[in-house]
Amino acid sequence: MTNIPVNAVDVSNLTVKFGDFIAVKNISFSVEKGEIFGFLGANGAGKTTTIRVLCGLLLPTSGKVKVSDVTYDQGIEAIKAKVGYMSQKFTLYNDLSIQENFAFTASLRKIPSDTLKRRTKELLDFIGFSKPMNTLVRDLPGGIKQQVSLAASILHDPEIIFLDEPTAGVTPVARARFWALIKQLAKDGKTIFVTTHYMDEAEQCGRIALMRTGEIIALDGPENLKKTTFPDPIIELNPKGTIPSELIEQLRNNKAVDSIDSYGMKYHLIMKDSQEWNRLSIEIAPFFVIRQIPPSLEDVFIRLVEGVTR
Amino acid sequence: MNLKFNFKRALSIAKKEQFHIMRDPFTLTMATILPVLLVLIFGLAIEFNVKDIGLTVHDSDRTFSSRKLVEVFSSSQYFNINPSRGSIIDAISDLDSERSKASLIIEPEFEHNLLASGNTKAQFLLDGADNSTAGVILGYLGGIQKAANFKLTGTLVKEPIELKTRYLFNPELSSPWFIVPGLAVVVIAILSILLTALTVAREWENGSMELLLSTPVQPLEIIIGKLIPYTVIGLAAVLLVVLVAILGFGIPFAGNIILFGVGSLIFLIACLAQGMLISVLIRTQQLSMQIAMVTGLLPSLLLSGFIFPLESMPKFFQNFTSILPSKWFMIISRGIFLKGADLSDLKLPFIGLFILSSILIITATKKFKKDLEP
Ligand SMILES: Nc1ncnc2c1ncn2[C@@H]1O[C@H](COP(=O)(O)OP(=O)(O)OP(=O)(O)O)[C@@H](O)[C@H]1O
Ligand SMILES: [Mg+2]
Repeated sequence: MTNIPVNAVDVSNLTVKFGDFIAVKNISFSVEKGEIFGFLGANGAGKTTTIRVLCGLLLPTSGKVKVSDVTYDQGIEAIKAKVGYMSQKFTLYNDLSIQENFAFTASLRKIPSDTLKRRTKELLDFIGFSKPMNTLVRDLPGGIKQQVSLAASILHDPEIIFLDEPTAGVTPVARARFWALIKQLAKDGKTIFVTTHYMDEAEQCGRIALMRTGEIIALDGPENLKKTTFPDPIIELNPKGTIPSELIEQLRNNKAVDSIDSYGMKYHLIMKDSQEWNRLSIEIAPFFVIRQIPPSLEDVFIRLVEGVTR
Repeated sequence: MNLKFNFKRALSIAKKEQFHIMRDPFTLTMATILPVLLVLIFGLAIEFNVKDIGLTVHDSDRTFSSRKLVEVFSSSQYFNINPSRGSIIDAISDLDSERSKASLIIEPEFEHNLLASGNTKAQFLLDGADNSTAGVILGYLGGIQKAANFKLTGTLVKEPIELKTRYLFNPELSSPWFIVPGLAVVVIAILSILLTALTVAREWENGSMELLLSTPVQPLEIIIGKLIPYTVIGLAAVLLVVLVAILGFGIPFAGNIILFGVGSLIFLIACLAQGMLISVLIRTQQLSMQIAMVTGLLPSLLLSGFIFPLESMPKFFQNFTSILPSKWFMIISRGIFLKGADLSDLKLPFIGLFILSSILIITATKKFKKDLEP
């Protein structure tokens, strides 16, 4: 194996249509080998659709896709062999045991039984699974189910692992545990392609692609995304007591203010002009505790993905 | 494309499906209870012995042989002989007036023919309007015919008496002998259509279809794999019905059991494919099951000739039933079971069944392929 830096995923001008509906619009991006690549976007943005194309489950309407040096020209089987896919839906059979689920997946992929045995042990050690192998999947707690599902999807030891909302609906502890596994896999040289709705998870990605209605509207590392989206600091306004109801509306229309959004009890304000803002901040000082805060990914997400639709 | 077909993978699917079957109370219950229940329901309806059946006898021969024949009827305990009041018309008017359920007409040459050619005829008229009684009476006739042959000739080898039955009011009536072989049709149809209708829909509903899709498994492998265990269940159910028919109801199996098995298998495949097609099209278990119930139960019960004779249906319906596999297998099942029909007698039904099976399985596979292939 030579160490030529090739991309794990290359997508250029990918478009996917369902009838007249365009689910993915002419997107292009690359994922480096060994990267944790995050896919963010509101519901229906086209994340799953993109992943299904990359896993050989859906043909692109147009555009080119290269996964682990394999293109669609070489057939979908070739792609399927290279990738591990953990679907957004829970795909293990609840009425089968872990052993049976693994054996079934392995047999469809023609994994020899000694390899299966070795991989099963490796993977169960990896996820720290200690229950008997003949436990029915149905009897596992949600977090463990997700981990077993991850293990099943990488039985064939793929180079790229696609995880579509792998932590949806599990406890925060289980989420943290799952992300520890993701990081371990990346450390072992696997490429991880993951979608999530959790910002704390997105923070842990090497790079993030933000998707909105089929398009990638931003793509960068978490810190860069924050910097480019918010060149100026975010100002947090913490109300001291009840504030006059028209005050927020007045602020929003003020020429010093670019935008103001509520965050729980507080408000996040983006200024337009620092001189004007300095004057305004003195005026509203009686009503708020004012401080500058670093932008979070959530701010970025709201500004880029949701802000535009306002 | 077929080059990619891998039998091992199909077997993996079959094995997995077998786990589902063994662990799903619904499937297990259906597979075991349903055939037994159907046999019981229809079987009990049959087993009520009808006795003291009024039989008008018009004996124009009045010979030793003709009296022997009448004696066979009277000594059978089933029939009460009403002697004809002289006219052959009585034989029919008694049926109309419901004085008798059946009439036996013996022509003057009865004994003469028997002695001359070793072969003779008597006429048995049966009121087919009362379906269930007529069915039972018909059931007795086979035995009576044998007894008569024995009494008249002292041998069982030849069959010098031909008991040709003409049904006056209901030409294709149901009898226990008709019902039990017909049960094979109903049992296969309901069981296999219902069970397979769930199997593909279940994968869609559970999300496990995504798992199948992400592996190199081929649609045809999935279809074949899923068919295997249900074929076994279906054949076991047929075997059960056949055993009940032979051992429980004493119906002799007249034909070739292998041919019957082949017919059952083709019919079974048609039904499995029909269920599969429903499942592939509908994708939800609930609706699939309802559609399977309707399209499985109704044709096999009502339009196959099982309960209502096809001949008495409007022409349009008669033609329509030809697209139903259950009609063809009904003919095959009764033909082989009761009449000992062989392949040459059943050419048309076999061809019809084979064509319908092929159409169904090809349609199901094609549609499924289209859904699965990106
Ligand atoms: N097979 C299909 N046929 C028609 N439309 C589809 C199909 N699959 C997806 N879509 C549509 O394409 C759009 C993108 O769907 P997709 O599942 O990719 O979104 P997503 O970003 O994964 O959303 P979520 O966060 O809800 O999972 C949606 O509007 C969806 O309704
Ligand atoms: Mg999705």
